[in-house]
Amino acid sequence: MNTRSKATAVLLSSFILASALSACSSNNNNGESASPSPSESSASPSASAPASESASASPSESPAGIDTSKHVTLQFYMLGGEPKDLSVIEKKINEMAEAELNATVKFNFTTWTNWDQKYKLLLSSGQDVDLIFTADWTQYQSYAKSGAFLPLEDLLPKAAPKLQEFVPQDMWDAVKIDGHIYTVPATYKEYVNNGFVYREDLRKKYNLPVPKDIASFEEYLDGIKKNEPGIQPLSMNADVKGNMMDVFREVNDDTVGGPLPYGIGIKYNSPNDVYSYWGSEEQINDLKVIQRWQEKGFFAKNVLNVQDTLQDPITTGKAAAILGDNPTRYNDTKMKMQSTHPDWELGYTPFAETRGFATPVHPIHNGFAVPKSSKNAERALAFYEKMVTDKRYNQLTQYGIEGTHYTVEDGYYKMVGDATSNGFPREGMQGWAWRNPEFMLFDKSYDGVKAIFDQLDKVAKPDLFTGFAEDYSSYQAERAALEQVEKQYFYPLYAGLVKNVEEGVQTAMDKAKKAGLEKVQEAYKTQWLAYTSEKGIQ
Amino acid sequence: MKIKDDKYTGLFKFIAYAVIILTSLACLFPFLLIISASFTDNASIIRDGYHFIPKKFSLEGYNLVLKAPDPVLKAYGVTMTTTVVGTILGLFFITMAGYVLQRKDFKYRNFFSFVIYFTTLFGGGLVPWYMLLTKYLDLVDTYTVLIFPGLMTPFLIILMKNFIRSAVPDEVSESAKIDGANDFKIYYSIVLQLSMPGIATVGLFLALAYWNDWFLSSLFINDPKLYQLQFYLYNIINTIAFITQMGAGSGVSLGGDIPTETTKMAMSLIVTGPILLLYPFVQRYFVKGLTIGAVKG
Repeated sequence: MNTRSKATAVLLSSFILASALSACSSNNNNGESASPSPSESSASPSASAPASESASASPSESPAGIDTSKHVTLQFYMLGGEPKDLSVIEKKINEMAEAELNATVKFNFTTWTNWDQKYKLLLSSGQDVDLIFTADWTQYQSYAKSGAFLPLEDLLPKAAPKLQEFVPQDMWDAVKIDGHIYTVPATYKEYVNNGFVYREDLRKKYNLPVPKDIASFEEYLDGIKKNEPGIQPLSMNADVKGNMMDVFREVNDDTVGGPLPYGIGIKYNSPNDVYSYWGSEEQINDLKVIQRWQEKGFFAKNVLNVQDTLQDPITTGKAAAILGDNPTRYNDTKMKMQSTHPDWELGYTPFAETRGFATPVHPIHNGFAVPKSSKNAERALAFYEKMVTDKRYNQLTQYGIEGTHYTVEDGYYKMVGDATSNGFPREGMQGWAWRNPEFMLFDKSYDGVKAIFDQLDKVAKPDLFTGFAEDYSSYQAERAALEQVEKQYFYPLYAGLVKNVEEGVQTAMDKAKKAGLEKVQEAYKTQWLAYTSEKGIQ
Repeated sequence: MKIKDDKYTGLFKFIAYAVIILTSLACLFPFLLIISASFTDNASIIRDGYHFIPKKFSLEGYNLVLKAPDPVLKAYGVTMTTTVVGTILGLFFITMAGYVLQRKDFKYRNFFSFVIYFTTLFGGGLVPWYMLLTKYLDLVDTYTVLIFPGLMTPFLIILMKNFIRSAVPDEVSESAKIDGANDFKIYYSIVLQLSMPGIATVGLFLALAYWNDWFLSSLFINDPKLYQLQFYLYNIINTIAFITQMGAGSGVSLGGDIPTETTKMAMSLIVTGPILLLYPFVQRYFVKGLTIGAVKG
């Protein structure tokens, strides 16, 4: 290679380096000054145009205090796949939006394949996106912290006063990250708390106790093992952390909420007391129970290789119980099971019966945000207000066209055809975020879930955990190392495969400490305590 | 006169055949298992596991995939189009590039080789690439975006360059020039004719890449009519997985009974089928092309 190409190489590489750096930094200027609190809404709330008038209303009569003189096309992004008849719905929505907001909307879907990468690209590339779905599981908190979304508190009173009023103030407060509102939370209250799922017909047959806590659950499993040799008592798969350990801790150790990372323990009743669950007496006792279950043969020895879902073995009669599942999914499992085995029964005991309380999902769980790159933030919010508070928009995008896609019978939603033939199944656009309790229609089978929700409503307490936004930039390397340690040393313990639990925990702790456990836990603790003091959690 | 086989030859043959038969069986069995599983009842798979002979015969997996054949056929169409167009265009560009880069009378050939090679080591990364294609070239939801990014790969250009260099000696093109052929004439009536094995190799590489691609669809295609086959099928599996795993966690209740396991297997067969038939025909070129390109590189 001659000298000239060497020089070019240097030039080229420095150019590429520079462009890479500038791309990284383009996202950094999110310094937004403090803004007036959203409760001081000064804009006059607009009267929504009745359906009959909407067609004749001219674009200039803008419903809110925003400028709608210029026609815009809004890019609306949802996760998941799109329903077959989306274009029909989109056309109908656009007819209304055109007349009322001088805007048309394009509904885009990420599909479930690779959605997390696509989501990241949509937010980091500066692409034209006006509204995008947010949730705790799409990392709303960290995206908000890094400035991917527009703060909404100034825009709301002007662009969507009705929406601002519609969402209760405590929900607006709950979704705040660093003092700013970055997402419009969904107001529908639901529970994803777990509960024991078990075969009720077998319980009656052998006169076993109703599972209420770990001890009675074990008795139940014992009875199944003894009387039904062909059935595996407990359904479990390779995700022993998510499906065994986290659930076990939820019912037995009074954890604060979502699964805590890095072996940290925080109890709901003393949220300011952060301790290391890994290596504690508590963990050893928990693991001993699981090890005993493994020895008794409640679940397969090769559990770490099982890839089935937890629910499939229940519906086919291979297994008799699930340690923990949420009400909605329990109801689904039950429906599915009874469609093929009408004589089987499935029972459910919410953990709330043992724990004494249940936590409705945090407002962050479903929401819509306006990304930083949006050029039509006001119009986007005004449109979103329609989606939530206007019955025509709402029901059209949630259930499709009445008569074509669904019918209403005795107040219940009824799908036309079945899931594969229907062009727009219930909530076919994954519209969890713009559910409006006033306009919601439920399938008859959902009564079971509602009954459980009503029961949980009586003991509801707020979710303390989900509002917490962890910032792991200072211990990213240790975090990755710990993940590795957990997979390698803790998973066998979670699966009950290590005979001597104390020794196993000791080895795992040694490895974890080498990987930087203490540093990570310390940093997490500091951030957590800052969060609880900011929110005034005692 | 016939050379008599000594006893070791017989033994060798015996061992060789045994090993080859065992190995091919080992390769074949998983595939048979897939075929059998795709015809098994879903509940039976969950209860009893996989068997070589279905315990309970069922076509529900194929039913689900082929129930509405429209999207599958459309996806097949898209993949066929991108594969054919992409392979032909790609071959044209790659052979052109390879030809030019190996011509000794092209003064800046080292510089250009370097620039091409440089991109294999230092890429811009995903985000700049994504921005270029969506914001500046505005290629979202087009056939172009499915074809364009895969047209020229540095590896294939280098392979082609080395192949042409070894297959077409300089003297040949020189003498052709003396006989009055211009550069294009040399390209299509000498270089292309002599480097057929190389073209077949690169062509197969390209065709496989286009056939197996799902990533471009996942990033740049929003319109289901433009999904590539692999993405379409992969997406069905992911949707099923999501509905069963996470969907209910978010309160979705589809209630539909989807045969997950059989569907996966039926899908694998539908997707691998055509390429499986194509492979044996092109394979001999493949091996030849690879070794020639590599050894003399």
